[in-house]
Amino acid sequence: MHPVDSSTTAEHRVVQLEEALNEAAQVNAELQSRDALKTQFLANISHDLRTPLTAIITHAEILRDGILGPLSDRQRDSVASIIGGGRQLLAAVGEILTYARGAANQLTVSPSEFHIAAVVAQVSALNEPLIAKKGLSLRVDVASDIPSLVADREQVTHVVSNLLGNAIAFTPAGGRVWVTVLSTRDAQSQHVQVEVGDTGIGIAPEHHDLVFREFAQVDPSPSRRHHGTGLGLTIARRLVELNGGRIWLESRLGEGSRFFFALPVGDMR
Amino acid sequence: MDARPHILIVDDSDAVTGALRVLFEETGHDVSVAASLTDAVGVAAARAVDVMLLDLTLPDGDGLSALTTMRARAIEPRVTAALTGHAEPEIAARCTAAGCRAVLVKPVPIAELLARVREWTRPRDP
Repeated sequence: MHPVDSSTTAEHRVVQLEEALNEAAQVNAELQSRDALKTQFLANISHDLRTPLTAIITHAEILRDGILGPLSDRQRDSVASIIGGGRQLLAAVGEILTYARGAANQLTVSPSEFHIAAVVAQVSALNEPLIAKKGLSLRVDVASDIPSLVADREQVTHVVSNLLGNAIAFTPAGGRVWVTVLSTRDAQSQHVQVEVGDTGIGIAPEHHDLVFREFAQVDPSPSRRHHGTGLGLTIARRLVELNGGRIWLESRLGEGSRFFFALPVGDMR
Repeated sequence: MDARPHILIVDDSDAVTGALRVLFEETGHDVSVAASLTDAVGVAAARAVDVMLLDLTLPDGDGLSALTTMRARAIEPRVTAALTGHAEPEIAARCTAAGCRAVLVKPVPIAELLARVREWTRPRDP
């Protein structure tokens, strides 16, 4: 072996490391710029999907309401299905857009003071027809000592709506769904804790982490029984965290699910 | 004089303005459509507008600036309602500050839209 000049070797290593670092920085910049493009694409495509959907739904409502002349009952049912399908599609598109804005850190929090009971009542009332249609029962329990929250009401409503929507979707006929609101306190702070539970199909513990991950679905196959964007819980987690809270679940396969989120009780000042 | 309320729909999507045109024409309104800020100002300059339904994103700029221009030229519609894709509080606040009577999220259920427009165009009590 030849003797090696250690200072030259060290210099050479430094140069190599610097080159590697530069390369990594370039790759990183490239990835970030592609990610930004993807996010912008999602936002644009969402807008482009919403526009024709708006026209479809409006035209269908004009027909349904007899503005262009009376319809038979069967015609009206058929048109009502167009509207129902259109609104469902619109909700999915809205979800993609919210996700894209979240990914681009464009979601901002507009806090106001409100009572969680009002949000739970509003979301429950909106879901009542679906609960009846699926033959489920819904129980809402709000403890009497719940303080008001200072958070983004629209975002909190979105979270409750998403969790209740999932509970309904994943619970077979005859099952139970419940929403329970508690106040919890530890040494540092007080929280309002919301539980949305169901007696549905449940989630295996190894999939608990997966359900909050973007685009992940426990069953991603095209033949899956439950459809959706796979973004609902990713968005829910982002919204809860934006409002200073946390979200988690307790569930086992076949034994129903209990999703929880807790938000800190704020101070208006 | 035409007693039918004059509705100006400002949106760059033919599909959307087409649907709203049918809705309002069939329910006793006169309808004008504009696909840009410039067109909207042109319509308001030619004939007084009772209600303007204003999309915020137009090819030649922010929809709300149409309202500012019309006000400066004293051709502001009696009532302006913003039509947006999203009901974010900051957008709503911006619309209200610019003088919009309402901020409606597209697609507005037509029963609600008609009720609002009829309320805004109801003849004033003598």
